[in-house]
Amino acid sequence: MFLADLGMGFTGLALGATLARDGVVRASETGWLPPDGRPHLRPRARSVIWLFMNGGVSHLESFDPKPMLNVHAGKTIAQTPFAHVQDPKRLAIERLVVPDANGNQRNVLYPLQVGFRRHGKAGIEVSDWFPHVGRHADRIAFVRSMWTTDSNHGAQTQFHSGRHQNDGDFPTLGAWVHYGLGSLNENLPQFISIGTREYWNKRDGHYLGPAHDAVPLRIDPSNPLDFGTHEGSWTASDRRTGLELARTLNGLRGVEYPGDPAIAARLASYDLAYRMQMSVPDVVDFSRETAETKAMYGIDEPHCRDLARQLLAARRLVERGVRFVQIQHGGGGAGAWDAHSGLKANHEGLARAVDQPIGALLADLGRRGLLDETLVVFATEFGRTPGTQGADGRDHHIFGFSVWMAGGGVRGGVVHGATDEIGFHAVEDRHYVTDIHATILHQLGLDSRRLEVPGRKRLEIDHGRVIREILA
Amino acid sequence: MVQRMALLWVGALFVVLFPGAQSDVVADEAYSKSIKPLFRDRCWACHGALQHKAGLRLDTVAAMLKGGDSGPAIVPGDSKRSLLVHRITTEDPAEHMPPLREGVSLDSEAVGWIRGWIEAGAPAPADEVPDADPRGHWAYRPPARPVVPALASGSGLGAIDALLETGRLRVGMAARPEAPRAMLIRRLFVDLVGMPPSPEEREAALGDSRPDWYERWVDRLLADPRHGERWARHWMDVWRYSDAWGLGDQLRNSQRHIHHWRDWIVESLNANVPYDEMIRLMLAADELHPGDPGRLRATGFLARNFFLFNRNQWLDETVEHVSKGFLGLTLNCAKCHDHKYDPIPQADFYRMRAFFEPYHVRMDVRPGEPDLLRDGLPRVYDRDLAKPTFRFIRGNEGSPDTNRVIQPGVPAFLSGPALPIVRVSLPVEAFQPERNPWVLAAHVEASMARLAEATRVLAGEDSGEPLEREVRERRMEAAMAEHHAVNARADFMRGEWMAHGGDVTGGLRIAAVHAERRHAEARARLAVAEAEQRHAKAEASKKEGALKELEAARKKASEAAAKTASTVGDTERPTTLVGSAWTPTRFLDSTKDDPDPGFPSTSTGRRSALARWIADKNNPLTARVAVNHVWARHLGAPLVASVFDLGRKGTPPTNPALLDWLAAEFMEHGWSLRHLHRVIVLSAAYRMDSSTAGADVEMARDPDNEHGWRRVPMRMEAQVVRDSILMHAGQLDLARGGPSVPPGAQESSRRRSLYFYHSNNERNLLLATFDDALVKECYRRDASIVPQQALALMNARVVNEAVPSIAARIGVRSGATDEAYVREAFRTLLGFEPGEAETRASLAAMDAWRKGMPGEEPGLASRRAHEGMVWALLNHGDFVTVR
Repeated sequence: MFLADLGMGFTGLALGATLARDGVVRASETGWLPPDGRPHLRPRARSVIWLFMNGGVSHLESFDPKPMLNVHAGKTIAQTPFAHVQDPKRLAIERLVVPDANGNQRNVLYPLQVGFRRHGKAGIEVSDWFPHVGRHADRIAFVRSMWTTDSNHGAQTQFHSGRHQNDGDFPTLGAWVHYGLGSLNENLPQFISIGTREYWNKRDGHYLGPAHDAVPLRIDPSNPLDFGTHEGSWTASDRRTGLELARTLNGLRGVEYPGDPAIAARLASYDLAYRMQMSVPDVVDFSRETAETKAMYGIDEPHCRDLARQLLAARRLVERGVRFVQIQHGGGGAGAWDAHSGLKANHEGLARAVDQPIGALLADLGRRGLLDETLVVFATEFGRTPGTQGADGRDHHIFGFSVWMAGGGVRGGVVHGATDEIGFHAVEDRHYVTDIHATILHQLGLDSRRLEVPGRKRLEIDHGRVIREILA
Repeated sequence: MVQRMALLWVGALFVVLFPGAQSDVVADEAYSKSIKPLFRDRCWACHGALQHKAGLRLDTVAAMLKGGDSGPAIVPGDSKRSLLVHRITTEDPAEHMPPLREGVSLDSEAVGWIRGWIEAGAPAPADEVPDADPRGHWAYRPPARPVVPALASGSGLGAIDALLETGRLRVGMAARPEAPRAMLIRRLFVDLVGMPPSPEEREAALGDSRPDWYERWVDRLLADPRHGERWARHWMDVWRYSDAWGLGDQLRNSQRHIHHWRDWIVESLNANVPYDEMIRLMLAADELHPGDPGRLRATGFLARNFFLFNRNQWLDETVEHVSKGFLGLTLNCAKCHDHKYDPIPQADFYRMRAFFEPYHVRMDVRPGEPDLLRDGLPRVYDRDLAKPTFRFIRGNEGSPDTNRVIQPGVPAFLSGPALPIVRVSLPVEAFQPERNPWVLAAHVEASMARLAEATRVLAGEDSGEPLEREVRERRMEAAMAEHHAVNARADFMRGEWMAHGGDVTGGLRIAAVHAERRHAEARARLAVAEAEQRHAKAEASKKEGALKELEAARKKASEAAAKTASTVGDTERPTTLVGSAWTPTRFLDSTKDDPDPGFPSTSTGRRSALARWIADKNNPLTARVAVNHVWARHLGAPLVASVFDLGRKGTPPTNPALLDWLAAEFMEHGWSLRHLHRVIVLSAAYRMDSSTAGADVEMARDPDNEHGWRRVPMRMEAQVVRDSILMHAGQLDLARGGPSVPPGAQESSRRRSLYFYHSNNERNLLLATFDDALVKECYRRDASIVPQQALALMNARVVNEAVPSIAARIGVRSGATDEAYVREAFRTLLGFEPGEAETRASLAAMDAWRKGMPGEEPGLASRRAHEGMVWALLNHGDFVTVR
């Protein structure tokens, strides 16, 4: 069983150091102990690949078709039978950071900018911009009933931490996973961030500590990792001599300072660093991938090669046992998907950039038998308004939007939850963003309540609830 | 989870208990170990010592029997008739406890155990004591200087050590001896000035034969200007220093030029400005010293909280961190509801907010630079003098309780007599900052500088461009006109001030308006010349467009000329030269600046009242919080682990008497941080050895060092790591103060790390790798040990560029042999002498490096071996450790 041999890796080291530091938390007094890297429940998944589309993907043009928008296109919502969606009480979940030119109610319904067709045995409708994803519909659980509260792009951080921007910064999901579980592979960082993330909170660990921040990875074999490339004049052999000397000298220090746990932790950290330096470039070196695989992802196709390379690297990472690979797609401003105008051209182009690589990732994981233990998540900070912004855009929309999950013990061919007839409110099986967290943690065998840190009381909503309906 | 485990245990117990004979002793225990903690966690916030809603307390069984407004909470032996059981199980939302919006219901398992316990007769220990009155919590009582025990064995022990020794004696533990002198010297340097000693300093201290050498070095280092920089960085963590950040060019958080606040902190520490005074200045220098730009820098503390878009977020952070940072109170926990642990009703959060409700941020012109994008003093002032503060129902900014205006105030359990809030009349320079003498001078000087530059260019060599001379002449004329206009506007402003608003400035007014018009005209003519030049240079295909632009420019120039020729109207005034600019907010609309009502002539006096209350000797929290922070940074562990929470949820002090002694000593010596540093570093506790070799008994009895029987090794902070490397290489630039080194210049900069631009978005990768402060909250640094740190020390450019210099400098001091080199390298970089095994291993490695360069001349091979030795020691744990 893959969990039989849990190491302590990064988490263990960091904890060792934290405990050694002082008694911020005194186990003897509170009965509290930090996580030991073992899951709380029987895990169904081993790794997570988290695909996050920066800017806000239109649920209406991706995974939640609403023909009523075509029927009533051009009418104000008030003129349609669905005027009730604008009941102020139902809009009150929104928490404003600032009254904004964006994130407003858009009243004139805008028709769908793309067609949909049914896919798979389940006949799930997916937009024609995502044919490759559609091909895997029988592997995917679509959740069409998400909601959040920040109508600005702070919702990106909210999707990762569960807390609104006005509440401050909190650890993100990846950091919790990293904190809660030990390492599966001691040659690689266990929480990796790939892609652009200029807008939202760059630090993941927050009060869990910087040891739980994501380690940024570049798809560049010559310089994939911060400080991973030697910027000095020493040959590898010279460095090995130096590191062996340092190891010996540190060990001797341990004799004089037997009570200092940092010495052992540092020795381990150097060993791991050395191995990481060897292993990481290999992860992003695709020379031994078959031509067929590379073509399937599209790593040489100009329209999609960036994400293709990132996702091929992601597969190689989870194959090597990395826990949490977080991929952010779409840079620039508050995120590339932020289609306030020209939605059709924007989304069509971006979907072309992500669809083939994502489809390939699912296929590749599937044929390697990795999909069973790898949870792939497709998410975005919010959806887009049923009404039009300007001539041809959609605004931010927090009241209902879609995400999906595949693999890792999630049932495929499932549509869970629903928005109303015009895709405005999530109305059936509504889910706040932390329900996604709870579901992922559950699949990894973690219970967020048991990870809570003394003095850092989390709110009930932070924990979310597991979406059991989509689990196998 | 602990609670759940405990319940499972009780479950097993009950299964054993209830079917058969009962034992009250065991059931007592079940109550104390499981049911009572459950009540404490889930019920006491409303039904305990803090509050007794509906007259009910659940902190003793006696209180449960007595019950509240609705009668007894439990009926022993009859869970069905027990109101408590009804309330935790009913589905009626009006009756359910805990109230449905406040938390989840107790799960059925827990309910089962409570039922079982009641059925068993609700047994409880006979001596059950009610939960203590929260107002009597240790941190809420004023710190009294404790009686320092006279210890027979402790002759010559200072108060700190006597207070620690009392605890050690009680558990029968001996303190470690003093650390070796070399170790002590390195410790002292890193701690007090933020870097280890240079070899010269080290030898001087090692060779100092005066009996009071240690005290003298302490005093010397406390007086060293590097000391202020070192400790400024500590306080910058606590006070959330951050350079400005935003999205692209848009400033969203903190302020431009906020480094003036950082420089004020450094200078204040070096000048030993009392801590209470520093608090007052940071919170209210604009009310206390409105005419003193040097002190106004302190208000960067509040200016840093600026947030472009949302006032609530801005003030939430202000309330949270003023409370945590100065008072060790988690007032933020009372934003949505009454505090669950401390006697802080929700309204207190908003009372605290009301002190800050009026304040905003502006940028004052500094001497010599009228362009506020290039320099300026970010500072605060009261702007919205009458803005009401409302409590947000359930903390939701969308539902303010507008029935009641919240007045500024501090938590009742801490306040003495009512806080006097006195409105402050400001000197005219504070609200008409252009009157400060340096302002007009700065504008005039800047215009002169531009004139000189235009003159220089005019006289310079011709570039050969068509019409270049024409353009230069027009530019010169424009600069001249600007200079005249600035002077005329300055004359007008001075005249108006002298007239005290009377109308004696007619001539000056007309002259200034004219000069400004002439300046506009000269600029328009310059624009024509430039357009002519562009037209002349344009390719054939672009001639037409260029001609259109030229015609437009000509039209504007003729309009400007006409304007100059027209009569100046009676009400027409010249544009005033700016002495300060409000930092605009966008609370109302994210796409445009909010309206600016200008600078009021008074300030509410709210913040100075709060500042006086915080920085008062009668405040039980302020000094304790400060000494705890200082102690933690000297010794590696605080006395109260939860440094930002001294409330009831926080951890109790490991040595309450010591904490109080330090607080009392600190206040009695005029809140002098230098005195506090001195008494701490002179203590034996500070000077102890950190090795635990041979101390197995102590290690087993007190591994966490609660009794202070040893020093704990400390991983150096990020800034110390980088500064040390540069210092050893002789490359460290000790220039003090000034604008933060921007990210792009950091790789090549050799400034001290505290001067690096550091914000939420921009941080130095090397420093971040070593747990640099998070700007949003950093009451304590992490001291992680992760592989990225190893990679950085192995591979980073700044390290590898320093290695040859460090190696060469060590070589200069050491003898010729490898053995001498190894010894000097250890002493310099690690602060101790290598032992035999260490020397042997090092020599072997040096041989290997030499052999790695076959055929090279011996000098080069030796240098390689030296550099290898340095590189290895930079990767030695002790290089980044204070032992």
